[in-house]
Amino acid sequence: MTEYDLSMTVASYLDRHMVFPLLEFLSRLEVYDETDINKCRLELLKGSNMVDYNIDILELVYPDREVPAEINDRRSEVIQEWNELNLETKPIFAILHDEEVKKQIQVSRDSKQLVDFLVERFNFKVEMMDTLYRLAKFNYEVGNYGRAAECLYLHKVLVPTNDKNYLNSLWGKFSSEILMQHWEAAVEDMNRLKEYIDNHPFSSDAQALTQRCWLIHWSLFVFFNAPKGYELLIDMFLYQPNYLNTIQTMCPHILRYLATAVVMSRQNRPNALKDLVKVIQQESYSYRDPITEFIECLYVNFDFDGAQHKLEACEAVLANDFFTVSCPADFIENARLMTFETFCRIHQVISINMLAQKLNMDPKEAERWIVNLIRQAHLDAKIDSAQGHVIMGQQAVSPYQQLIEKTKHISFRAQTLTDTIRKKLSAKNQEHGGWAGDM
Amino acid sequence: MSRFFDAGSDSDSESTQSDEPERFQQPKLTAAAFAFSDDEEETKRVVRSAKEKRYEELKTYVRNIKNFRKNRDIGSLLTNFEDLWKAFTKAQTVIQKEESGQVPRFYVRCMAEGEDFINSVWEDRNARKNLSKVQSKSLATLRQKLRKYNREEKMAAEIAKFRENPDLPDSDEEEKRAEDSDASDSDDDGASDAEVAPSTGTSKEPSRSREMSKAKDESDSDSDDIDWGSDSDESDYSDDDQDQYPSMRDYFLKKSTDKDDEARKRQKKEERERQRAEERERRRQQEEDDEDEDGDWEKVKKGAPTAKEKLKMFAKDDEVTLNLVNKKYAEISAARGKKGNDRREMIELLHELLTIAEQHNMTPGMIVKIKFGLTAAIFDYNLAIRYAMKPDLWEKVNQRVEDLLDQLLTTPDVIVGENILEENESLEEPPYRVRGCILSVVERLDDEFVKILKNCDAHSNEYFERLRDEHRMVRLIDKAVQLLESRLPKADDAVVELCTTPHEMCRGYLKQVEHIYYKVDKRIFQQAEGEVPADEPTSEQEVDRRCKYIYSNDSTAVLRTRAILYHIYHHALHDHWYEARDLMLMSHLQTNIQNADPVTKIHYNRMMVQLGLCAFRNSQIREAHNALLDIQSSPRVKELLAQGSSQRRDDLTQEQEELNKLREMPYHMHINLELLECVYLVSAMLIEVPYMAAHEFDARRRLISKSFHYQLRNSALKYDLLGPPELMREHVVAASKAMRRGDWRACRDFVIDKTMNAKVWDRFYNGDQPRADKVRAMLTRKIQEETLRTYLFTYSNVYDSVSMVTMSELFELSVGDVHSIVSKMIINAELMASLDEPSQTVVMHRTEPSRLQSMALQLADKLANFVENNERLLEMKQGRDMYYGRGGGGRGFGDRPPFPRGDRVGGGQGGYGRGGGGGGAWGNRRDNRGPPRDQRGPRR
Repeated sequence: MTEYDLSMTVASYLDRHMVFPLLEFLSRLEVYDETDINKCRLELLKGSNMVDYNIDILELVYPDREVPAEINDRRSEVIQEWNELNLETKPIFAILHDEEVKKQIQVSRDSKQLVDFLVERFNFKVEMMDTLYRLAKFNYEVGNYGRAAECLYLHKVLVPTNDKNYLNSLWGKFSSEILMQHWEAAVEDMNRLKEYIDNHPFSSDAQALTQRCWLIHWSLFVFFNAPKGYELLIDMFLYQPNYLNTIQTMCPHILRYLATAVVMSRQNRPNALKDLVKVIQQESYSYRDPITEFIECLYVNFDFDGAQHKLEACEAVLANDFFTVSCPADFIENARLMTFETFCRIHQVISINMLAQKLNMDPKEAERWIVNLIRQAHLDAKIDSAQGHVIMGQQAVSPYQQLIEKTKHISFRAQTLTDTIRKKLSAKNQEHGGWAGDM
Repeated sequence: MSRFFDAGSDSDSESTQSDEPERFQQPKLTAAAFAFSDDEEETKRVVRSAKEKRYEELKTYVRNIKNFRKNRDIGSLLTNFEDLWKAFTKAQTVIQKEESGQVPRFYVRCMAEGEDFINSVWEDRNARKNLSKVQSKSLATLRQKLRKYNREEKMAAEIAKFRENPDLPDSDEEEKRAEDSDASDSDDDGASDAEVAPSTGTSKEPSRSREMSKAKDESDSDSDDIDWGSDSDESDYSDDDQDQYPSMRDYFLKKSTDKDDEARKRQKKEERERQRAEERERRRQQEEDDEDEDGDWEKVKKGAPTAKEKLKMFAKDDEVTLNLVNKKYAEISAARGKKGNDRREMIELLHELLTIAEQHNMTPGMIVKIKFGLTAAIFDYNLAIRYAMKPDLWEKVNQRVEDLLDQLLTTPDVIVGENILEENESLEEPPYRVRGCILSVVERLDDEFVKILKNCDAHSNEYFERLRDEHRMVRLIDKAVQLLESRLPKADDAVVELCTTPHEMCRGYLKQVEHIYYKVDKRIFQQAEGEVPADEPTSEQEVDRRCKYIYSNDSTAVLRTRAILYHIYHHALHDHWYEARDLMLMSHLQTNIQNADPVTKIHYNRMMVQLGLCAFRNSQIREAHNALLDIQSSPRVKELLAQGSSQRRDDLTQEQEELNKLREMPYHMHINLELLECVYLVSAMLIEVPYMAAHEFDARRRLISKSFHYQLRNSALKYDLLGPPELMREHVVAASKAMRRGDWRACRDFVIDKTMNAKVWDRFYNGDQPRADKVRAMLTRKIQEETLRTYLFTYSNVYDSVSMVTMSELFELSVGDVHSIVSKMIINAELMASLDEPSQTVVMHRTEPSRLQSMALQLADKLANFVENNERLLEMKQGRDMYYGRGGGGRGFGDRPPFPRGDRVGGGQGGYGRGGGGGGAWGNRRDNRGPPRDQRGPRR
């Protein structure tokens, strides 16, 4: 089962704090040894500020050993720093919690204007912004994400986009929201971050690539939890060339999530499938797992037996993946429908027994399933219950149909053509000061 | 000396002597000569007679002829000769009257020399080939005319007489020459004279004698082992021309030093005598060496002569100091590149200097400097770049360079750099700084090596002999790179400007890659199969490492582009199809290769071809077809790949042709063209035949591959009765026909049989049979599949239903495979049918449209075309990208930029105009992988 486990691969692109939920999940799955996971946690905690958690885990892993002195030292250090920082930021919060300031923050759009206002009225110092950032970072590091998010929100409002900490602040905010599971806020932050990455040229393309790669991985948290996440995922991963490139170059394993999302939102995004197939075929040499193989079997090789086997494997893989753990049922249903659809397009007569086998269902269940489909008018078919066959409705394209198909778009195209010409004409006329071309 | 006067009549010579002494000199002395003879002329000038006038005219022509001969301007030479003959007939009467019919000697000389010149040019086939059309035409006419003239005008006798002692001057200046007793002595080694002359400057040494000695020297240098090629006569004249200057200086010098004491003169004379003796000695030694064929120059420094040489280089009592050596070096190298400088002489001098320097334990800096000079001098030896070095000379440089590299490697305190200025050099103490670029030297050496290879007949033993030297070349490059690597700037280095620059490092690596990339490393295949441990280093890693360095460190696009091209080539050669493809797509080469230099384009074409072959071996038929399409649809495949020219091209000038020659690949790097064509045709067959079957009655059918159709048509036209196929093309055509009938066995037997194996398939993987068998198996499988498709397309209207089991038996495919293929066809709406699962049959729905219906469909097609055309028209007006709209259904081709076709534009059949199903994998994918992939690639 661990063969298709992507946790470690994904974890390498995540922040340390985000890996804990992943580990939590893995320990619940009970496929790995608990102590191994705890050791892993310890590795992660090394040098972090989450001292108390560290001590807890240490006690779990080595119950018979004393907690090393250095960790206790570290603890007091952290607490001291905490106090210092709090002291330092007190005046800042005093200013920022002022009612008037809050109002101003809501109103003002420009950070510079706001800072000017604060400096003028409240004796605000520019260095305070950095202090604020430090406090946020410290909060984040000790696991106090809510406070970190709050600080970062203020920080983001105050600093201009070209500030050295601006990008870091964005990442921090995004991460905090994810860890607090505020998905809506996270989506917002994600979009902000994406905008920033796409619009700010980095010194090297490698940097931009890394940033995108991180964003792709972090946003997985959001996509698989937020409402309409699948469609957002498809939009971003499949239809934004930059991100598709990043996936192809840096992290083809993301294809699993992309494929899952495409299958899940099959009805809303019927076209995505074709594009996905292309991508999967292209990258088949660099990444394959049951999910991509399922798609490949179904849409490239039309190997229904193979697809059925893969589907079984898919279920297990999805159930064991942190992100897709909630999907298997939906996924299987959709995948079945997809298989069946393809099947129907190819076949004229299908025996229910065979179908049931291909769909990984009981014959009776399959029959009921088909009857439902027919009733809901998804399918033009009849059941021959004497022989146990499903007979598809005739689907041969008549020449008339062909003719209609061929000529359908012609008038539309001609119209756009005339429109463009007319537009051009009117533009020309306006240039010459004429009024002829009123549209 | 007086034989001339014996031959000619006394009165004639007398008169010429008294009347116009300096005029007879004219043809030999050019403007410079006039400059100083002006004052003399004034005193001696007499009335200009008719004869004078005529002679004047003649001489002008003679002078022109001489100039044009120098320039090798044969066209003008012809017209001048014609004018000269005319003028001579005019002058005939005067000559009859005044010289009793004796043809003036300068005229005879001109004719004789003209004839010699023409003959030499004529015989030098290489040079003649390089002449442009007009030039070679005039050469032929001139040769004929001159012969005819000499025969008819009774010139033959005169010329024969002249040839008996050609060295006699046209005029007599013996009184001057007589004084110079040295002249006859210096005959045997005029070469040394050339070098010493400026410093010796003894009494009167008129140009005449020097010229004579020069002429002699020429003849002996011709006879020695070095082939001067067609240069010989050229340099002959240039030398003549040259000599005017030192002699002119002597002329003035003479006046000023006249008062100098005799003692000094004598001393100098002695010195020269001694030098000459040494020279002879040395030459003898050298000849011995040459005879030994080991060409080892080290020998010279051993034994007795060295002591003498030292004497020659430096005064007896002088202590040989660094400064002195440096000065001497500067003196010698100052002559470099100047006309009239004997290059052979220079090599020898430098070599002596080196020996002396080594004997006196000069600093490594100085020695390195001299060694640099020496290699440069040897390179200079061959003047024309287009001719290859002599192999033994190359051998020598090779040793020299290796020696130099070894020294540089062992003495890390010598810093060599091309941006160290001459005045900033420090030779006395470490760290030594020397100006010079070892990389350039190695690169030059490599170029010469390639030239030598190209100069050999590719099928001869000689080629093999030379090719054996490649490992030495590689070793040398490796050493150079090692040197560069050892001098890479370290973090704590203070003087960064003296370290290896990344650019130099890139150049070094690229040179290394150049020698690796086209070679098949069997270990890579074995590694893939697990026969060789995965951690064994292969050429792949070597190429990879170096290319990656270049990707990240090169600032000029040129080196990087080359590196990418080599990298892809190497990947493709070892069946790393995906890596090669990704690198290709990421590099975005196809978009801007048009702007590259011709050599890069050639490498691009080679890479593309190799990529196509790789795709074919990996059963990516469509990709293979697309990659090869552009190269193969041009009639100039050979030229695009720089593997010789396919036919004589009249539209190229001589220069272009020469350039093409220069760019050609050496034979061992050639790509088998027949293999290429066969792979292309077979790919085209696999794509085109089913397509043809599917669209048999389609009005809008497109040609996927023009050249494939051409072959098909050709075979139909050529023969009334088709015999069994013999040529590769005939095989493919026969196979296509079999496939069209649905007979896959016949198709396979045509494609894979004994002849085809020998000609094509066995050549995959350098004749590695098991691997070639895999390709054959793949091919068989493809033929089965595509024939099945063709069969279904062709015969579907005959069947109401077909059993899949029958088909699987017929085509020896598993039922599952047949099912998969049929399903695909149904899904893609290629086949109007559906499967009847319980009975395992394909039920056809194909309803033949009635006449009216099919016409209506055609009308609809035409309408669609019409609208499309309109749209295109509008787009064109708007000046948008023209080719985006083209090609209708040819999606991929539409936005695929045309592949470049080397430097020559092979007609306007760019990759785009052609339509064709969904063959756009390249184009489409390129769009998907946007820019970052591009930049990522080189970094990966």
